[in-house]
Amino acid sequence: MTGTSDTVLKVEGLQVSYGSIPAISSLDFEIKRGEFVAILGPSGCGKSSMLNVISGLLPPTRGVVEVDSRPLYDAGRHAPKLGYVFQAHRLLPWRTVKQNLELVLAASDVPRDQWEDNIDRLLDILHIGQFKNSWPMQLSGGQRQRVSIARALLVEPSYILMDEPLSTLDEVTARSLRQELSGIWARTGATIVFVTHSIREAVYLADRIIILTRGPSTVFENYHVPIARPRAYDDPRIAEVEADIIRRVEHAWGLDPIKQSEVA
Amino acid sequence: MTLSTSMQATTLSPRPKAGTMDRNIRILGAILAVASLFAIWTTLSITVRPWVPTPYDTVLAMGRHLTSQGFYANLFLTLGRIAAAFLAASVIGAALGIAIGMNRKVEAFFQPLLAMALAVPDPVFIIFAILALGTGEAAGFVALTLAVAPFVSNIVRSSVQARDKGLDEMTRIYRIPSDKAFWVSLVPQLVPALLTAARFSFALSWKLVVVVEAIGQPDGIGASIFHSFRLLRMRDVVAIAILFILLMQLLEKGVLGRLEKRLLRWRQ
Ligand SMILES: Nc1ncnc2c1ncn2[C@@H]1O[C@H](COP(=O)(O)OP(=O)(O)OP(=O)(O)O)[C@@H](O)[C@H]1O
Ligand SMILES: [Mg+2]
Repeated sequence: MTGTSDTVLKVEGLQVSYGSIPAISSLDFEIKRGEFVAILGPSGCGKSSMLNVISGLLPPTRGVVEVDSRPLYDAGRHAPKLGYVFQAHRLLPWRTVKQNLELVLAASDVPRDQWEDNIDRLLDILHIGQFKNSWPMQLSGGQRQRVSIARALLVEPSYILMDEPLSTLDEVTARSLRQELSGIWARTGATIVFVTHSIREAVYLADRIIILTRGPSTVFENYHVPIARPRAYDDPRIAEVEADIIRRVEHAWGLDPIKQSEVA
Repeated sequence: MTLSTSMQATTLSPRPKAGTMDRNIRILGAILAVASLFAIWTTLSITVRPWVPTPYDTVLAMGRHLTSQGFYANLFLTLGRIAAAFLAASVIGAALGIAIGMNRKVEAFFQPLLAMALAVPDPVFIIFAILALGTGEAAGFVALTLAVAPFVSNIVRSSVQARDKGLDEMTRIYRIPSDKAFWVSLVPQLVPALLTAARFSFALSWKLVVVVEAIGQPDGIGASIFHSFRLLRMRDVVAIAILFILLMQLLEKGVLGRLEKRLLRWRQ
């Protein structure tokens, strides 16, 4: 999509264990600048752990993770600009929505005179404009998650890590946000790693889907989505690809495929 | 069928209408408690005649103290001592608690010391401080800080260790400078613990200040209670004690209670 093809994120022989219990057995993959990569894998296979390693929060037990050709864990102030939508929203409950967003903006390079506009625009896109001055406690789970998405996008990151960001939303809102996210990605050229349990969502959004095995995980397949953009969520080709992926993982994940597909 | 569902509904809904009944029961209970206390007091004042003053005599004595200059002079001295001890114990205890909670090495060093300090009965601190520092202001201050700070530290430490590590990760990801993260993310998480610690430290401080004054000071509320006791003026002992306790309760409920409401308003 973006045309450039240089590798910006390299994961090599990544192993993650908690104590003596392995969560990720060995992962190898590369991600190119501006690529939209979705990660699919059964629950508990180590997807969140992988994002924590990529973000530099968790040191790998073995192996290397390089971002911009630097080992990430000790990148220090060279660490790349990152937006991370955690699986839990992680807002500060004693700050209003706006204050939560301003906190990260203050630590970013975004000029102060743009904050207000950027916040308003994003909250509108995410359909939560009226909650700007609310406490997180006053929001529903899905609304909080959207504030967390706004926070990740506001800092104008070159990498965006998203851990099931739309899983708490109703399907109508989720569809609208998928479309917005697709647009934001195309406009900003950010590199996105997107963990999801919805195969259709992955097919709709991603250039490539990295399918993991059951935990402790390895890469089961690098699946390039063969559908040109712009894509429509109801395009029958998306359903076809979804069915194809379900056929492939059915055996590897060893579960009833209907449960995994989360058919929208 | 309808009956069982409606019953379920009442048991499941958070704090049903019983709120007002709850309050009535509490008010009634309080009235009964005060009334029985009063009855016991009156009975005692009749049976143990010279030593327990009657409620009437006590109220008269309270009135006398409230209109005398000496009482206020002593009161302000004592309030000053309480404020100094409370502040020192709170600040030192909170700082120590945060340091211990954040750092394993600091914890390894201080935790055994704190455990020992907590095991020492408070009068021991007071006696040793007076022996070491004499009966000046310093002795009381040091003894009180030593006695109260470990409690504060313990409360704060467990709250630091129970903090939401996810928020630490969030501030790291968004590169919020660590001093700022300390104030916007960690400290607000500690507010409930800090308030508990303040309550505790305040209650302990004022009780101990009075003891210190009784043992080793020529002035202050504790000293005047002890003075009246030596002259066997029991009505004054009780009158001063009641006035002082009422004032302390007022401070605790009024000031600390209000502060709590303000600081925790985001909880609704
Ligand atoms: N902090 C931790 N301490 C110990 N074990 C952990 C920890 N975090 C995760 N694990 C374990 O590592 C494995 C992978 O967890 P992880 O959260 O990465 O899975 P996941 O793929 O994100 O799952 P889900 O799809 O349910 O979110 C799980 O078996 C989990 O029990
Ligand atoms: Mg996860």
